[in-house]
Amino acid sequence: MQEGKAYVGNLDVTAKRARDILLGKVPLDKVVDWATSFSLWPVHLTTSCCSTEFAATFSPRVDGEQFGALPWVGPRQTNLIIIEGTVTKKMACAVRLTWEQMPAPKFAIAMGACALDGGLFYNSYNIVKPWQVIPIDIYLPGCPPRPETLARAIVTLQRKIRSKKVASTWVREGWRGDIEPVIPKEDLCGWAAKSI
Amino acid sequence: MLQAPSRDYSSVLGLALEKAKNALSSKGIVFSVEEGKGFYDIIVEREYLVAGATALKEAGFDHVVSLTVTDYPKEKKFRLVYHLTSYLDYEIAGAIIGLGVEVPRSDRPSVPSLTQVWRSAEFQEREVYEFFGIEFEGHPDLRPLLLTPPVAELRPLRKDFVVREENIYEGVPKSG
Repeated sequence: MQEGKAYVGNLDVTAKRARDILLGKVPLDKVVDWATSFSLWPVHLTTSCCSTEFAATFSPRVDGEQFGALPWVGPRQTNLIIIEGTVTKKMACAVRLTWEQMPAPKFAIAMGACALDGGLFYNSYNIVKPWQVIPIDIYLPGCPPRPETLARAIVTLQRKIRSKKVASTWVREGWRGDIEPVIPKEDLCGWAAKSI
Repeated sequence: MLQAPSRDYSSVLGLALEKAKNALSSKGIVFSVEEGKGFYDIIVEREYLVAGATALKEAGFDHVVSLTVTDYPKEKKFRLVYHLTSYLDYEIAGAIIGLGVEVPRSDRPSVPSLTQVWRSAEFQEREVYEFFGIEFEGHPDLRPLLLTPPVAELRPLRKDFVVREENIYEGVPKSG
């Protein structure tokens, strides 16, 4: 066994070695971070009424596509969830299912007062906070936030990815190092409930 | 040529009430009328509910616009009111008459479903079922409509449901 050489024969071992060699180079780290930060595609997942501002962000006036963010339909082609406003328990089920379907370097922005601490629906029996469902990178205050705020949040997330090397670390290690993974504690979808 | 008469909605409401009263009396149904500010509720006993609903449908009230429930914990009862109106009968179109029934308050209260009379009551009854836990006998598809089953089991709109007071920092992650 010689270090730094890839051996043909076991495909898994070879691929892992090749990945380690390539991603160990500093410029490729930078390329991964740069490419991920300029292709943050948010999924179309409208949880609540802040989605009007989400739509305004990607309309011509504050053109969200100039930052490299393009709303896309399927969760399997996207890597960003923008949680727009209140998350009810039924919607939290959908948020978590969408999050599980997205490929690995993935991020989340919580938008609006309801996504921070409940906002208008504080202390309600039927809402959850988004941080109890998925790990959140950026929080936006406002009821609702202006489209400029959301554009700023996307730019801030890009800077965070590039400065902390979030995406390349994620690709190299296989998991995200800087924040804790979140497992929902309660039964959001009601799958464990007895029939009612 | 058909002349559209000028419509006075208070007289239309009175006419609709007269029609409903006549329809119920001709079937021998015992009822009482409660008058409020701009509305009339016809309260019947539980065993007359389906017969009264059928009589009102024959009298021209062809759909349910809403179904409301009020919880009276001190009197230990629920009051259900079906709000009825008409599309097809021009004389009473626009007037809303309530058909109410009172249910004793228990763990599993139940009333006969009026989905067999008015199909438009189906989703309203499902919503009442999940928020108040009132079961409708003979409903074709009695499942929670808006809530997930763990929340619907709490019966959240009953008066004795207590919302837990949250600390303002509850669940906030310490870092990140």
